[in-house]
Amino acid sequence: MSHLVAELPVPTGTQPGRTGRGGRSRQERLAYRILLPALGTVFLIVTIPFVIAIWQSITSDDGTLIGLRNYTRALGNPLFFDALRATGLYASIVLPTEILLGLAFALFVHRTVKQAGLRATLYVLAVLPLVVPPVAVGVVARLIYAPGYGVLNYVLQSVGITHSEIQWLGVPALAMGSVASVDIWQWTPFVYLVLFAGLQTVPRESIEAAQVDGATWWTQFRYIELHYLRPLFLLILFFRVADVLRVFDHVYILTGGGPGTATQLLSLYIYRIEFRFFDGGQAAALAVMVLVSISILYSLVTRALPLERA
Amino acid sequence: MKNRLTRRDFVIQAAITGASFSSLPAILAACGTGTATPSSKPSKLVVAAVQGNEDGPLKKVVGNYKSQTGIEVQVVEFPYADLFTKLVTTFQANDSSFDLCMMDDPWMPKFGTMGALQPLDSNFGFTRDSDIPTVVYDVGTWPPPHGPVPPSEQGKSPHLYGITIVGNVEMFMYRSDKSAAPASWDEVLSNAAKYNAASFYGYVIRGKATNPVSSDSLPILWSFGGNIFDDTWKVQLDSSDSITAVDFLTRKLKKYAEPGPENTDAADRSRLMAIGQAYQSTVWPGEITGIVEDPSVSQVKGKVAYIPIPQGPSGKGLGMMGNWLLGIPKGSKNGAAAADFIKWMLKTDNMRNYVAQGGIPIRNSILNDASLASANPYFKALAASFAAVPNWRPRTDQWGAVETSYGTAMNAAVAGQLTPQAAMQKAASEIRTVMKNAGYPS
Amino acid sequence: MRSRQAAIAIRLILIVAGLGVAGFLYAFPLYWLIATSLKSKAELYQSITLFPRHPTLQPYYSVLFERGFWVLLKNSVLVCAATVLVTLAVGLVITYPITRLTVPPSLRVGVLNWALSLRFLPPVAVVVPYFAIVRTLQIYNQPIALIGIYSLFNLPFAIWMLKGFLAEIPLELEEAALVDGANRWTSFRRVLLPLAGPGLMAAATIVFTFAWSEFLFALILTATPNSQTFPVGVQGLVTQFEIIWNDMAAAGVIAMTVPLLLMVIGRRYMVAGLTFGVIREK
Repeated sequence: MSHLVAELPVPTGTQPGRTGRGGRSRQERLAYRILLPALGTVFLIVTIPFVIAIWQSITSDDGTLIGLRNYTRALGNPLFFDALRATGLYASIVLPTEILLGLAFALFVHRTVKQAGLRATLYVLAVLPLVVPPVAVGVVARLIYAPGYGVLNYVLQSVGITHSEIQWLGVPALAMGSVASVDIWQWTPFVYLVLFAGLQTVPRESIEAAQVDGATWWTQFRYIELHYLRPLFLLILFFRVADVLRVFDHVYILTGGGPGTATQLLSLYIYRIEFRFFDGGQAAALAVMVLVSISILYSLVTRALPLERA
Repeated sequence: MKNRLTRRDFVIQAAITGASFSSLPAILAACGTGTATPSSKPSKLVVAAVQGNEDGPLKKVVGNYKSQTGIEVQVVEFPYADLFTKLVTTFQANDSSFDLCMMDDPWMPKFGTMGALQPLDSNFGFTRDSDIPTVVYDVGTWPPPHGPVPPSEQGKSPHLYGITIVGNVEMFMYRSDKSAAPASWDEVLSNAAKYNAASFYGYVIRGKATNPVSSDSLPILWSFGGNIFDDTWKVQLDSSDSITAVDFLTRKLKKYAEPGPENTDAADRSRLMAIGQAYQSTVWPGEITGIVEDPSVSQVKGKVAYIPIPQGPSGKGLGMMGNWLLGIPKGSKNGAAAADFIKWMLKTDNMRNYVAQGGIPIRNSILNDASLASANPYFKALAASFAAVPNWRPRTDQWGAVETSYGTAMNAAVAGQLTPQAAMQKAASEIRTVMKNAGYPS
Repeated sequence: MRSRQAAIAIRLILIVAGLGVAGFLYAFPLYWLIATSLKSKAELYQSITLFPRHPTLQPYYSVLFERGFWVLLKNSVLVCAATVLVTLAVGLVITYPITRLTVPPSLRVGVLNWALSLRFLPPVAVVVPYFAIVRTLQIYNQPIALIGIYSLFNLPFAIWMLKGFLAEIPLELEEAALVDGANRWTSFRRVLLPLAGPGLMAAATIVFTFAWSEFLFALILTATPNSQTFPVGVQGLVTQFEIIWNDMAAAGVIAMTVPLLLMVIGRRYMVAGLTFGVIREK
């Protein structure tokens, strides 16, 4: 088992140009002949739903145009803002916790664990939660938090920390904490893996030089390692924000959005509008708004991402 | 080619419909004795069912149907909260996956308004059987034969769209080894105070948000003279009777309730009863057969008695219908065979066998059969509940939204987050908006 | 000197305690899932114990055979395998020209950017219009409806992974074949594909794993065991009317077994896949 490294793009603007021996234009034409049909098809497949969503959002069930009425209804629904707030709260619990915990582990393992075998084992252990289906994680969480049979209350009571049942899924703040804990369990290892790989790219010489100068672990982190990790933080944030917006499975199973609407994240809210209330117009308006805002967000931040696009 | 086939199918369909219309009088005259529409027999019928104690007995008897008719009945299960969504989506997709569907009775207005089901009376010759309570047929009829009718449905001629196969009526259970039956909700409260002890709860509230707490509280609301709507769809939740009822449940009874009642659902409630940690609660028949009287899990078998919902200050004790019906989706290509299956389920002998498997019957002759009473201690109470004509939940296609508002506010009241008055005012104003937007008189 | 030793000791204890807590939090949920899956129904009605009193495999039997979930397993395998095939085929068609042929860098960057943007498509926003498409095409409750949408959502991963693998294969190998008179298609089939084999395998594993876990589309677009996938079945056991935590747990264990087994092959590429090649194995 060899080790993981972060492969960041070379900052210079020139791409390693590949000059094929065959005629460049002939190759290019071939490339287009292969690419265009495939890309065109996929592009259509991606675009059609978007067009349909727009169409659904400005028509009523019988197909008559109703302008932006669905949008005003969607925006006039206080539950929509509850959902935004819940999503924001969820993100603000989950992201900092995962990043801090992941960073702590990455630093700890990087500094103290030197045996390749142990590192490899930790790698496998960290990959494991990432592949567990969120539905299964939701089931586990129910077995832990659910009232009556949740094992957490049993453990807390038998250790003597509490004396009555805590309603993990019944109190809004605790329920939010419970669904967030599931995310943290599943995704902290991801942050760990990325940052740990990032730490491997720090040149040994600069660390050794710093140590000679008597740098503490903090200054070493603050002035050397952090510099190398910075693009990775951005990457993590980007992927995790995208994921938070699509979180559905484990929340659906654990709380279904309750109590009340405390854990009704945006994705659950749209699901509820479309598939519980069957308000297709409003759901389509919401879908369009989400798609548009995601596209804007994406085009704003994508350039800053440390991805090898060559 | 495909197009021609479809057109031919259409012609065939039109012909069948025409034929069934023209033969309607003959079918009515036959009074449901024979099978109505002859058709080629399918080898399999697919039922969409609710997962739990409600469909357990159904799963056990379909094997008999296969051995008698050669037709396999496949039961596809969904959790309660998903079944409604699944049915509406298959109806929207005009999908032919399901030949039969189990429906909770409050869904009837939505399906009726959508026109999603095949009429059982006109298409398949179903008629009313005097051994089956009238209210059972009424609950499967759309538009509803009594009570307020949604504005969009007024003037439609009523048809029978569903037949009850789980005769659920919400009842009341208490530990009969400790006291006599409470005659009124006041006695329920005083017993709760009297028998409440450490790890033994005087009253169990099924307070989980939306449907659960809504079911748990409506009988109390009605028995106190409160209501969600009056006969002209005016919201009554913020009336003083309604608020008194909510106060009774969420303040007075809650004092003696289990911890975290806002999260308790049916299975938790029955489990508390079954493991001997609760004195009384409301109960659905499915929980009785499935948990409280199930010898493999219950520690209180024989110590629990079942009675109709106690009387409230209004002088009435009003149970609530929670019938599960079988209907035939429009999209099904095997309507006639599906109707045959429903008729088979209704036959007295088959229903007896269904009861032996834990099924909840609707025939008075079975409910009042003394030889079945000891094995099914709730039959007498259920027969009495049917005879007293239980209330049903408001027959509006907006029920989903109404129940969500009411059940969320009730949940907040049970949790102590809102006062009874604030909760009911919130629910009332939300529901008024919903109803107004849906075109109901305001 | 003493105090310094004490400080070190305290720090050590804190670290060990911290690791212990972390290890417990990591492992206990999995343990509890497995422990619950080994309990009998009767045991669920007794007070909770941390170990199953009489371990039994009955819940697994009940899930797979009495409830018939093996059919859902079969559907899942079928849907995921088909998704892998479609995704890899489309992925190869898109990545071959941009990695093996001389194209303007802007085209390459454009294609990759566009693929990346698909990664941020929120499924719940797509499911609303997609459901309308499925209704119109009358493929509701058909595996094909899932295969289509899963392929679309996994395409970004496939494109980025394949681009990484293909770029690593020296151009000269293919060119040698071309010089020997083979045409592009033959040299792609005979030279490139075998060399890209491990990479394809890795991408296949990742795509299979992601498709296996998908729940939202499966929940909405399926109705019967004709097309329901395993996660839908698992969710179906989370019920309020019945106490079947053991079956629920057993189904959860089965659901996670398949991706865990696949990770024996794919673990080295998992992180590369999730980070679009930023984190690589060296």
